[in-house]
Amino acid sequence: MTYLDANIETAPRAHIRGMQLEKLKKQVAWVYARVPWYQQRFREIGIRPEDIQSLEDARLLPFTDKQTLRDTYPFGLCAIPLDEVVRLHASSGTTGKPIVIGYSQRDLDTWSDCVARLVTMAGVTRADRVQMAFGYGMFTGGFGLHYGCEKLGCMMVPAGSGNTERHLMMIEDYKTTVLISTPSYAMHMCEVGEAQGFDWKSASLRVGLFGGEPCTLGMKREIEGRMHLVCTDNYGLTEVNGPGVAGECLSSCEYQHIAEDHFLWEVIDPATGVVLPEGCEGELVLTLLDKEAFPLLRYRTHDLTRVITEPCACGRTHARMAKVRARTDDMLIVRGTNIFPSQVEDALSGIERLTPHYRIVLDNESGMDRMTVMVELRPEAFSDSFEEMDRFRHHVVDRLKQALLMTPVVKLVEPGGIERTFGKSRRVEDNRRSPGGAL
Amino acid sequence: MAIPQLSVFLENRPGHMKRILNALEAARINVLGYSASDTGDYGIARFILDKPEAALDVLRAEGCAVTLTEVLCVHLPNKPGELARVIGAIADASINVQYSYSLISNVIAIYAEDIPSTEAALRGQPIELVSLEAVASRFSSCD
Repeated sequence: MTYLDANIETAPRAHIRGMQLEKLKKQVAWVYARVPWYQQRFREIGIRPEDIQSLEDARLLPFTDKQTLRDTYPFGLCAIPLDEVVRLHASSGTTGKPIVIGYSQRDLDTWSDCVARLVTMAGVTRADRVQMAFGYGMFTGGFGLHYGCEKLGCMMVPAGSGNTERHLMMIEDYKTTVLISTPSYAMHMCEVGEAQGFDWKSASLRVGLFGGEPCTLGMKREIEGRMHLVCTDNYGLTEVNGPGVAGECLSSCEYQHIAEDHFLWEVIDPATGVVLPEGCEGELVLTLLDKEAFPLLRYRTHDLTRVITEPCACGRTHARMAKVRARTDDMLIVRGTNIFPSQVEDALSGIERLTPHYRIVLDNESGMDRMTVMVELRPEAFSDSFEEMDRFRHHVVDRLKQALLMTPVVKLVEPGGIERTFGKSRRVEDNRRSPGGAL
Repeated sequence: MAIPQLSVFLENRPGHMKRILNALEAARINVLGYSASDTGDYGIARFILDKPEAALDVLRAEGCAVTLTEVLCVHLPNKPGELARVIGAIADASINVQYSYSLISNVIAIYAEDIPSTEAALRGQPIELVSLEAVASRFSSCD
């Protein structure tokens, strides 16, 4: 088993907890001394930094969320002089103004360490040649993984997003061994390659590092089978540096190890904010333990997961979070029923004659909510008979009905007919006039 | 004498059929007959082509959902009652016709539950079954 830093990654849990407490106290003192927003919130709640004497005391601290970053936009949360900030990144800003995050040099070093750790967990070594298919720009994914891999000593190929033909050429000519991409772009690259007769089996790629959007187990298996590589997923978000918060080791495919020496995790009930017992599913809350520039305490990620601390077969002792399959704000309310796109995904992934691509369209033109699920046929799934196609469509409706407890409309779409998304996936289109969607 | 018919999955949106026809044209494949029907949501276009196997490859490469099915083609003399006679022969054999359409002029394609039995039922009658070559040469284009 290869670790980047065995002392930290396999430390006894008591040691990890001790290190977290020591860092938490320092971090709380740091934000209180330097950021007026925190001073005011601490006063409103009636706490002082000295009140934090155990990790459980973290529950006394105020939450932060996207709104906090919007309210203090652009630099209100910055805890260091702006001339010590060496980099900015921003979220994609799909809803309103983007949120922006700054990094000190030490923040960037910590971030690179976290990323180097997660790629090592995925089996990447300094001998690897890493082809980057994320865009660079303000998005954290590109630069984050770039510098982490470079720190490990890999040969970085910063190809960037798009231009699939050039990507295929680079794999062939530079004999790259690792592909960093969104899962949907990897799938697209796979399809384009296959159409041109690219031989994935004998190609040099051996590892796929995915991020930027959720990857279902079905999609992962499919990519692994067709592109002949081992795929792992990792977790992070712009507000807490970017990628590097958690990563999948080769032993626990549905879980990701959290870098607990840098992040304190809690899982809360999204409705009440109450901390849930270990192992329960709820909203992930993260506190950065050693961030200088934009320190966030108890950041509400809106991601639903559960965290366990049982030992992992890989020997790492850091807690593991289940892959995020849903966000509290992904939840759709359709005719009074709560629906997560991940439920649709799960139901569809068991149907052999469909590709993993789908789209959910909501409307209420008739006065009632209507949910249409567009599903993509595999070329071999087509038959010359309307009767047979209708039977198949009813089968898809039944599977969705069982999973969702409501009956959607199912529309069959030809192979390749559903738009592939290369960034955050846009699988839901809500055309309802007064959506009852967001939580 | 059953001949291959090419079926293509069609979404109900503008330009879908055109894309298919353009691909066939680019491959110099001649359409000898076709039918397109739909359920309101999606449709199936069915083609009799001079080079069905080549067309299958062309459309697969285009990413289309496409399949080959066997149908029977029958030449109808140009006089009253001929269509009734053909359909009648199949009905007398207790076979259900699922769809049927006419090719260029007076040649029609028929898809029924059981192609060999249907062919046998027609062969027992003064009915002219035609081969793909015969249809192709009779209505061959000028290229």
